Amino acid sequence: MKKVVDHPESETPGAITRRHMLSWASGFGLFGSFIITALSNFIFIKPRATYGQPNRFSIGKPEDFPPGARIAIDTRRICIVRDGDKMAAISVTCTHLGCIVGVSATGFACPCHGSHYDQDGNVTGGPAPRPLPWYQVSLAPNGELEVDKDVEIEPGAYLSV
Amino acid sequence: MSIETKSPRKGFLALPETIWRSIFRNPLPSSDYGRSSTSFTNFFLHIHPVKVHRHSLKPSYTMGLGLMATFLFLILVVTGILLMFYYVPSSTQAYDRMLDLRGTVAFGIFLRNMHRWSAHAMVAVVFLHMCRVFLTGAYKPPREFNWVLGVLLFLVTLFLSFTGYLLPWDQLAFWAITVGTSIAGYAPVFGKEIKFLLLGDTTVGQEALLRFYVLHIAVLPAVLTLLVTIHFWRIRKDGGLARPEEEEEPAPGVAQPEPLAVAPMTMAAVAGADAVAGKRTFGIQGLVRGPLNKVGKLTDRTVFSWPNLFQAELLIFVITVAGILVASLLFNAPLEEPVNVMHPPNPAKAPWYFLGLQEMVSYSAFWGGVGIPTIEVLLLLLVPYVDRKIAGVGKWFARERLLANTLFLTFALLNVILMIIGTFFRGANWEFVSPW
Repeated sequence: MKKVVDHPESETPGAITRRHMLSWASGFGLFGSFIITALSNFIFIKPRATYGQPNRFSIGKPEDFPPGARIAIDTRRICIVRDGDKMAAISVTCTHLGCIVGVSATGFACPCHGSHYDQDGNVTGGPAPRPLPWYQVSLAPNGELEVDKDVEIEPGAYLSV
Repeated sequence: MSIETKSPRKGFLALPETIWRSIFRNPLPSSDYGRSSTSFTNFFLHIHPVKVHRHSLKPSYTMGLGLMATFLFLILVVTGILLMFYYVPSSTQAYDRMLDLRGTVAFGIFLRNMHRWSAHAMVAVVFLHMCRVFLTGAYKPPREFNWVLGVLLFLVTLFLSFTGYLLPWDQLAFWAITVGTSIAGYAPVFGKEIKFLLLGDTTVGQEALLRFYVLHIAVLPAVLTLLVTIHFWRIRKDGGLARPEEEEEPAPGVAQPEPLAVAPMTMAAVAGADAVAGKRTFGIQGLVRGPLNKVGKLTDRTVFSWPNLFQAELLIFVITVAGILVASLLFNAPLEEPVNVMHPPNPAKAPWYFLGLQEMVSYSAFWGGVGIPTIEVLLLLLVPYVDRKIAGVGKWFARERLLANTLFLTFALLNVILMIIGTFFRGANWEFVSPW
């Protein structure tokens, strides 16, 4: 083993020498860049584009939904409600853990952990923490209904058709 | 290192033996010197100590659970690699490939059964191993960090099985991962981010399948292998398996060395190694933490690893493999309907080891899925740093550890009971049902 010759500067015990300072700084720099490199992997694995379904889509003309209908479109994970000439889109994704709730006589019921909702999506039982969200429905210029799942609206805010 | 007997053959005839020796370096040992150099010079054996304490070899002490977990992991790696030859992580092909394993691939069902049952067994065995270590107080200093590594290994095992069961792309797979990743979404601050990173999308789909596949076959096995390696290395460096303090029993006819001033030696004391070595009756290759071997002071209760330890390991290996083979012959791994993203099965149940969690989640998603599990893991990690008393180490249910053992058993039983409720007492819509 090579004997390390003490630098004359380090003779005073406890004093911060240039060598100490530089090794701390470079060590800190190396460690810091290591952490940043590790974290940058998370940026890499976070997708910028997703390949799933679009959140804004057309569901057909209002005439397809007779008054009083409660039609679940499971592929889009929404339930279209028509009450007279008022229409709304209620999410059928359980707010508890993401299962698809079924339309039941009293509203909605989740098969996974037994959450119950009323007709408007308010929680009436089970572990669900929030009511089912309502999504914005609008009438496109071509006369078709358009649902935008990126925009949540107040429960009870219907679209008049 | 050593050649015990000179080969009687000369020239060309000696070639096979020369080649054999070049590979194995040692003939089969017939003396103590040979037995120690066999353990020493063989790559696969050198992870073992040359000599092992009799207490560590008692089947009733360890029950071979740690070894069993290792061998199950080995079976999982081998069968997993074989299954990879046919599996495609694609949402349109994965399920068909499962059916192909059943219908056309030679030994396809059998290999899938082995992989599935070994995974279930590994979760159970790792848990039992943890119970064994706790109930024998084997996490006490200097083994605190190895307990921490063990808890991490348990978590990685669970995460491996969690990522594994999305891959068949059947109904259970899809809905269990939907529920599981939603639980992750309840984590504070980063919950939504973690969920999005895991799924690569807002819902479970092709991206999630690919991500879980990569985690399952590359990332997590690498992490597990690294942790297992450190776990084993620490067993050696912490002085072998935990065992009770030995009574000082002078061996007849052995010179009594002077008692050492510092009994529990630490790595920091290496500087004084010369002084220590002078009082010992054999040369030391390196110092390990923990109590020194008190040469001459105690009766030597160690035996050579060759053949005692290796025989025991081989026996555990054969039992483990035999158990998995029999289970795979008798029971087929379940495969449910192909994924139907519109209709969750009712009830949608996770595998048994997650049903305790699912039961808790049915009361509160945050507390059952994130809060309580996090507290449980933190408590487990802190166990060796909170419980510092060095009494009753290396004994099952030691009287000195009555309180600690009672607390741990209560904790373990509560989780088992939740699991049983989730498995047998929950029906459609997660309503309470009677199994009878």
